[in-house]
Amino acid sequence: MNPPGGRRVAVVVVVTIVALALAVVVGLVVGPTPIGLTRIVGDLFSHIGIGHSTLTSTDSTIVWQLRAPRMVLGLLAGAMLAVAGGTYQGVFRNPLADPYLLGVAAGAGLGATIAIVDVGSGVSTPSWTPLLAFVGAMVAVGVTWAIGGRGMRATPSTLILAGVAVASLLTSAQTYLQQSSSKSITLVYIWLLGSLSSADWHSVLLVLPYVAVCTAVCVAAGRALDVMSVGEDESRSLGLPVRRVRLLVVAASSLGTAAIVSAVGLIGFVGIIVPHVVRLLVGTSYRRILPISVLVGAAFLVLADTVARTVVAPSELPLGVVTALVGAPVFVIVLSVRRPVAR
Amino acid sequence: MNAVEVTDLTVRAGGRDLVSAVSLHVEAGTWCTVIGPNGAGKTTLVEAVAGLRRVSAGEISLGGRAISELNERARAKIVSLVPQHPEVPAGMAVREYVSLGRTAHHGLLRGASPRDWLVVDDVMGRLSLEEFAGRDVVTLSGGERQRMVLGRALAQTTPVMVLDEPITGLDLRHQIELLELLKKEVADAGLTVLATLHDLTLAGQFADRLVLLDHGEVVLDGRAGDVIRSPELSVAYQMALRVVEVDGTDVVVPTRARTSSQ
Repeated sequence: MNPPGGRRVAVVVVVTIVALALAVVVGLVVGPTPIGLTRIVGDLFSHIGIGHSTLTSTDSTIVWQLRAPRMVLGLLAGAMLAVAGGTYQGVFRNPLADPYLLGVAAGAGLGATIAIVDVGSGVSTPSWTPLLAFVGAMVAVGVTWAIGGRGMRATPSTLILAGVAVASLLTSAQTYLQQSSSKSITLVYIWLLGSLSSADWHSVLLVLPYVAVCTAVCVAAGRALDVMSVGEDESRSLGLPVRRVRLLVVAASSLGTAAIVSAVGLIGFVGIIVPHVVRLLVGTSYRRILPISVLVGAAFLVLADTVARTVVAPSELPLGVVTALVGAPVFVIVLSVRRPVAR
Repeated sequence: MNAVEVTDLTVRAGGRDLVSAVSLHVEAGTWCTVIGPNGAGKTTLVEAVAGLRRVSAGEISLGGRAISELNERARAKIVSLVPQHPEVPAGMAVREYVSLGRTAHHGLLRGASPRDWLVVDDVMGRLSLEEFAGRDVVTLSGGERQRMVLGRALAQTTPVMVLDEPITGLDLRHQIELLELLKKEVADAGLTVLATLHDLTLAGQFADRLVLLDHGEVVLDGRAGDVIRSPELSVAYQMALRVVEVDGTDVVVPTRARTSSQ
């Protein structure tokens, strides 16, 4: 089979953009309180002086203070996790790589658990949980990088192995801590499974700069990752400063993932599956995979979150459960329709 | 002028010298082939010239510039590499693979310019690769694949090309075909070639100079015809070699030891 041509890629991009627009609408419209799209659009126009809004102040609060920030945070999280996963797969030339490979998840989990257990009330998650999660994630990646290759001399396999070691160490510490305090165990579980339920504009603004910069770096690295598909020695002979590129893109994808994880907890599946689905559809070039993964990841996570918050309303399903529950069948379908072009 | 100048090069790894105090030079626009038994250090030597090995002692300069002072990108504009076991990235089209050779020219943030594609398509034409342009690289046969790898190196438009056993796994016709293509580039474009080859007959036919390497050291360095006929060759390979002239071509043949009871 030949690599897919430009026409097919264009179709995929158009379909993805439509899905993304749909996700945005669904994220605003769907919920226990029915608020129609036309009324939301009317409200938007009224803010710029065209016509007037038919939204009550309660409706307005539901749409703009609850659903909108949650939808936007979902977009950011989905985009970041998907592009980070795709970047990891490229830089480690390993199809099983996901954004949590170097210990980000385990470090964040330990940080969050420390924060939650420390208060011990078992009623609510303390406000500094994201900060500790973020610190935990970055420390974990730093330790992995320090062990796995002493900075610039890191090779993919030593880094992956160091990541496995660091992750299991931190996870066992996290499990021990979690089990030692029965009062807060539910809160820890809820955090670990990931959720967008605490989203507000503050958390959106907090992660936005990280996601914007890190996503941009990853997408820009697509060309370098394509060159790296011929291996380290050959890409060096082609003029690619492999080690510097690797350090830069691993730092960017880890930093962005850490920011997202600290805000929404551990949402699995997006980072590993979205880039694979995209690869099956548009071929193996990271110049295509990465930007399209940004769009697909964003749309996918918002739609999954809509399912998570509506199916058993007023309570919620853990988002990490829904991403796998919805994502796995989708992946199986794509896999059986398209013969994989990836190795 | 010398396009490649290696002075007292030592490459150490795992506590032993893979190449020790090797000096050699390749004049611009000529072809030098490194021969020697397995483990003699041929691959290490040419990879060091391509800038891929850490130099323990000595110096390598390309076109008068020390390789240690060049960054990856600058070096890739001077020397290209055809590796012994090239990676074949499944899912990539042949034309795109050849265009990887332009990486050092257009950089990582900009894509290949129209000029870059002009170079790529010109190389594809010279190597009769056009018909495969849109094909997935994994679908090519061994001979086509090796021609494609040569294409990538030519697209790099470097004055020096390093090739490590470029004809491994090819049948006779494709071996000769590939070497002829390379010879033409040396003659037409003034390319400087540093290669390793196992086949001594082809090594003698296609190089201006041969360097015999054994145990990481240079044993012989001279005109191809002289090295092929020298008695040191048999010593290095630890077997009796004879040179037979067939239609004006020196053919190196191994002679089996007759004392053997087999």
